[in-house]
Amino acid sequence: MNHLPQAWGRPRDDVYGPYDGSYLQNDGPNQHSQSPIVTGTSVLALKFKDGVVIAADNLASYGSLARFTDVKRLRKFAETSVVGFGGDVSDMQYLDRLLNSLDIEEAYGSTGHTLNAQNLHTYLAKVLYKRRSNFNPLWNQLLVAGLDGEGKPFLASADLLGTTFSSPSLATGFGAHLAQPLLRKVAPDEETASKLSLEQAVEAVKASMKVLFYRDARSIDKYSIAVVTKEGIDLKQDEKLENQSWAFAEQIRGYGTQVN
Amino acid sequence: MTSIGTGYDLSNSVFSPDGRNFQVEYAVKAVENGGTSIGIRCKDGVVLAVEKVISSKLLKPGANKRIATIDRHMGAVSSGLVPDGRHFTSRARDEAQNWRSTWKTPITVKDLASRMGGYLQMYTLYSSVRPFGITAIVGGWDSELESPVDGQVGSGPSIGSGGKVDSKKHGGPGLYMIEPSGIYWGYYGAATGKGRQTAKAELEKLDLAAGNLSLFDGVKEAARIIYVAHADNKDKEFELEMTWISNMDGPTKGRHEEVPKDILEEAEKLAKKHLEGEDDEEETKDDDKMEE
Amino acid sequence: MFRNNYDNDSVTFSPQGRIFQVEYASEAVKQGSVVVGLVSKTHAVLVAVKRNAEELSSYQKKIITIDEHLGLSLAGLASDARVLSNFMKQQSLSSRLIYGRAIPLSRLVDSIGDRAQTNTQHYGKRPYGVGLLVAGVDELGPHLFEFQPSGMTQEMAASAIGARSQMARTYLERNLEKFADCGRQELVVHGLKALKESLAQDKELTVENCSVGVVGIRPDGAKTIEGFKLFDGQDVKQWVDLVAEGAEETAEEGMEVDT
Repeated sequence: MNHLPQAWGRPRDDVYGPYDGSYLQNDGPNQHSQSPIVTGTSVLALKFKDGVVIAADNLASYGSLARFTDVKRLRKFAETSVVGFGGDVSDMQYLDRLLNSLDIEEAYGSTGHTLNAQNLHTYLAKVLYKRRSNFNPLWNQLLVAGLDGEGKPFLASADLLGTTFSSPSLATGFGAHLAQPLLRKVAPDEETASKLSLEQAVEAVKASMKVLFYRDARSIDKYSIAVVTKEGIDLKQDEKLENQSWAFAEQIRGYGTQVN
Repeated sequence: MTSIGTGYDLSNSVFSPDGRNFQVEYAVKAVENGGTSIGIRCKDGVVLAVEKVISSKLLKPGANKRIATIDRHMGAVSSGLVPDGRHFTSRARDEAQNWRSTWKTPITVKDLASRMGGYLQMYTLYSSVRPFGITAIVGGWDSELESPVDGQVGSGPSIGSGGKVDSKKHGGPGLYMIEPSGIYWGYYGAATGKGRQTAKAELEKLDLAAGNLSLFDGVKEAARIIYVAHADNKDKEFELEMTWISNMDGPTKGRHEEVPKDILEEAEKLAKKHLEGEDDEEETKDDDKMEE
Repeated sequence: MFRNNYDNDSVTFSPQGRIFQVEYASEAVKQGSVVVGLVSKTHAVLVAVKRNAEELSSYQKKIITIDEHLGLSLAGLASDARVLSNFMKQQSLSSRLIYGRAIPLSRLVDSIGDRAQTNTQHYGKRPYGVGLLVAGVDELGPHLFEFQPSGMTQEMAASAIGARSQMARTYLERNLEKFADCGRQELVVHGLKALKESLAQDKELTVENCSVGVVGIRPDGAKTIEGFKLFDGQDVKQWVDLVAEGAEETAEEGMEVDT
C-alpha cells in the first residue's frame, strides 16, 4: 500500500494506471497575505463642529465565527488622533506597532512637534500603497480622525489599495453600504457637519451602529466610541448598544427554518 | 606621558607591550574635558542632569538639549564629544526600537546598557575606527506593572500577559554608565565629565545604596551636585538641564521627561543657596586664618 | 611633514583627547567668506559676502534655498556644502511626500550633524570642510542653526562664521537683546551691519558681492508662512542701499515704516 497521504482515497495505480497528480503541485507564490483571516467589520465616523466622532464594534471574526469579542479596533495616536481599523486584525496589530514606534520617534524631541491627523493619514496611505505595490497588501480599510494643521476637524479613509478618500462622514465595510446613507442624511456636506453638535453626532453614530448590529451578521453589540477634539481624546472601549428593538425581525421572511 | 613617542598610541586596537590600548585612554581624556553629567537612582525613579557650559553668548538659551530620550521610559546623557554623544543616542534609539519589534515589549535599562556596551566595544577593535569620545549615563524605569504587549488589541487572559510572578518584585529604576572601552556598570549614583571627582564625592555622601532617597529629593540633590561640581570651573557660565523618570504612580508615570520648570527652578534656587552657604563658611575659615 | 603624529587622520586621538583632523577642517571654514545669520520672533535672516576668483569671473554662491521654509548659507568648501544641501533637499522633500509636513528644522539639522559625525569616526573618510548657518521657520517659529565640520550643531540666537567673522560676532553680541523684537527690515539691516564689520578695509557691500535670504512667519497668526526668499544681484539693492555710506538716516525711517 502507498502510505503517502496524497495517495489516500485515490484510484490504485496498478488498476487504473499512473495517477495524474499535477494539480497537487503548488509552484505559485505563498498566498497567506493575499486574503484576510481574522477580521473586524465596519468603522463609522462623523465630523461635527469641534471634532470627530468615531466608532467600531469589539468583534474580530474568523470567517463567520465570532472568534474574539473584546478586540479594540480604535487605536489612539499621541493623544491627538484616532485610527479606526476594519479588515484583517493581525495587519491592524502590525500597523498599531508601526504607529507606536512612530509616536516614540516623534516624542524624541521634547519640543512639542507632533504629527496631526492629516500627517498621519498621508503616512498611512503611503504605507498601504507601498505594500499593495509589492503585491503584499495590508488588508485593512482605516479611518483617521482628528484635527488638521489648522486645528479644524479632519476625517479621511485609506484602504488596502492605497486609495484615499475624505468626507464629512465615512464608513468602512458593511457600514459603507448600510450606515453611510444614514450618516449622510445627518451631514450631507461639510457646512452642515460644521454645525453639528457633539450630542447630535454621537447620537447619529450610535443609531447607525445599532442598524449595523441588526443587519450585519459579523457584528456584535459591544463597541468602542471615541470623540476627538482639540481638548484631546475621549475613548470609551466597553460600550453596549442600548434600547435594541428586534420587533422588525418578525417581518423578515425567507431566512432560516421559517419559509413563509 | 609614558605612552607618547612609543608608537603604540598612534593606532586604535593596538596593544602596548604592557597590554594597554592607548587610543581608548585618550578617548577617556576627551570625556574628562566635557561638562559634568550625573545620574541618580532613587527608590521611585531616576534623575539625569548635565552641566551645559555656555561656549558662546550667541547660543539660544534653553535650546540645544543634551539629555536624549531613548525610548518612552529611558533617557541618556553623555560627557565628552557632543557629536559622538548624538551617535550614541541614535544607536541606542535603534536598539530600543529593534528590541520592541522583536519582543513586543520595551527594552530594559540593563539590556540597553548591554547592547550599547557591546557597540562601543566594537569601536575599540579596529584600526579603521576610533573609540567613542564619550562616557554615557543611561537611566530609566522598567515598568513594575503587568503591561500589555505592543500591538495587543484584546484584554488578554485575566492572569495577565505572562512572565510576571505575584510574589516577586518586577521592574524598577535602572542606571548604567558606559565608558569608551565599552565597559559598563550599574550605579546607584553615576558621574562623568570634568567635575566627576567632586560629583562622586557628593554622591557617596547620599548613601544611595540604602534606597531611601525619593525622586523629588533626588532632583534637588542632582541640581546641587551639578552646581557644586561647577564651582571648580567658575569662570564659565553654564545651564543646568535635568530630566527624570518616575515609577508608574509618580509624576511622569514611567516616562522619561524634562523636569518641569517650577521644580527645576526650585532645585536650582536651593543649589545656589547651598553654595552661598559653603562660600560663607570658607570665608569665615579664611578670616580665622588671617587673624592667626 | 606633519605637525605631530596625531594629525594624519580623523580616527586618531591625541594624548589630550583631541582629533586634529577635525580641528583642521574647522580651519577650512575660516577660509570662506563671512556669513551672518540672526533671528527675531518672526523672522530668520541670512546675509553673506560673495567672492569672485578674479575680476571677470562670477561670484561664488553663498546662500542656498533648501525648501519653501528654509535655506542655508555656507562658509568653507562649497562642494561639501552642495553635498549636504542636496541631502537636506531630499530629506525635506521626503517629509513633505510621506507626511505632508514641512520638516522640523532641528530634525533636518540633526540629520546632517549625524552624517558629519560619521566622517570623523571612520578611516578613509574626511570631515566636511564647511560650516553652515541654517535659517528657517517651522511649527515652533523661526530658527537659526549653526553646523560645524565636527558634526556639532547648535541652535543660535545669532551667529557669524567664515573669514574675520569675529568682528561680526562682536557686533551681534553687542546688539543681541534688540534682535528678538526686530521687524523684517530691521533684522536684515542688523545682519548687514554685522557683515560690514567683518569686511576687509577697502571693501564695500555691493549688489555684486552681497546675498540676503529672508524667511518668516506671517504676523497675524496665519498658518501660511513667508517662504524663504533669496535676494541676489539687483534684488539685493534694496537691502544694500539701507546700509550704504550716508544712508543710515533714511534706513532708520524705513525701519519705522516697516514696524
